[in-house]
Amino acid sequence: MQQVRTPAQQNAEDIFFGQIVLIWARWFFILAGIILALWTATSTNEITLSVLFVVALMAMNFFLHGRYLIEKPANQKMILGAAILDLILITAIVGTWGNDTGLRSQLFIFYYPVLLGFAFVFPRRLTTIYTIALLAAYTLVCMVVTPSMIGSMGDIKLLVMRLITLAATGGLGTYYWRIQRERRRAAMSRPGMNEYAARA
Amino acid sequence: MKSKKPMMGESTQAEQDPAHGQVVVIFARWILIATGLVLMLWLPSPIEQLRFQIFFILLLAMANFYLHAQLLLKRPAVQAVAYLASAGDIALITLLILLSGGYTSDLYIFYFPALLALSVAFATRPAFAFGGAVICLYAALSLFTSAAARDLTEATTQIILARVLMLGAVVFAGNLYWRIERDRRQAALELQEPLPAPVSTASAE
Repeated sequence: MQQVRTPAQQNAEDIFFGQIVLIWARWFFILAGIILALWTATSTNEITLSVLFVVALMAMNFFLHGRYLIEKPANQKMILGAAILDLILITAIVGTWGNDTGLRSQLFIFYYPVLLGFAFVFPRRLTTIYTIALLAAYTLVCMVVTPSMIGSMGDIKLLVMRLITLAATGGLGTYYWRIQRERRRAAMSRPGMNEYAARA
Repeated sequence: MKSKKPMMGESTQAEQDPAHGQVVVIFARWILIATGLVLMLWLPSPIEQLRFQIFFILLLAMANFYLHAQLLLKRPAVQAVAYLASAGDIALITLLILLSGGYTSDLYIFYFPALLALSVAFATRPAFAFGGAVICLYAALSLFTSAAARDLTEATTQIILARVLMLGAVVFAGNLYWRIERDRRQAALELQEPLPAPVSTASAE
């Protein structure tokens, strides 16, 4: 019998199976956050504050990972909420963490795995919106925290380069998501039971 | 218990997997080529460096055109060629990073789409082998160039570590998704397996 899925069912299945990718991307981000928080802190107040944020993120991710393991994965709203929180958190880190902030911050790299995980889980439209929001947030935080970059062609070039690679990550991720969905559709519509029924 | 009989479409899947993944690699490479050319010509480096950069980018463009043509002509993807092409991407990015200052170069961000593409194009072992090689190569290059410039401080090491972790995250996430989708396709194919022919009741009587 041919498997028929509505777009809503397909989206729900993608989130059901794919959310583990976002969860693991977040674990990498958390690991990097812990290492940097403990290594760069120069006072107990600094460690306390940064570890609090990291622990809160860990608790959220552990909750999501636990639900996945007991086969009660989170729904779209929960996963989307967590992804938006990631975006806000990374943008805040870029804008405020350490001595080098804004365009000078090297921690914009946290965006890459989170954006990739999002692109693998959500449909193209949502991924496009999320990617645009991410690029806009990063540009805004760079311009606000490092206003001197506006007059520097070298800095603008650097920003453009980073935006292109971030956009490429989101674009390639969602392109591959589309390829996989089409392959699954093709697999589900292969002649199988219908062939047997015709022969009988 | 697993059946030893190959599932319907298993060999077809194995044949199609590289082709579907290679599409992503080819597009990632076009992005790298186009972006690379634009950025090289916008505030160009000194002429000696620029010559090399443009030469290698154009070489990559020719190779990618050949691979793209193979895909359009629906010729089967040769695994060895795919591996060589991806190794070429990594080598080119690494060379450009080395030519533009090593650790201080911002060109390492081009590893991200390149690693994403190969993590979804190749099976786990080769994907992790490539990813691991890139990570080790980049870490060594960064540590060496920053030490040579007497800039190997705690802050530098932290940044290198963060970069290496995020590169690893992209490879891991990409290949994890590849595995999930492979299993889902297999499950879909198993559901489509035709029933075995029924035993004739006449002979039983």
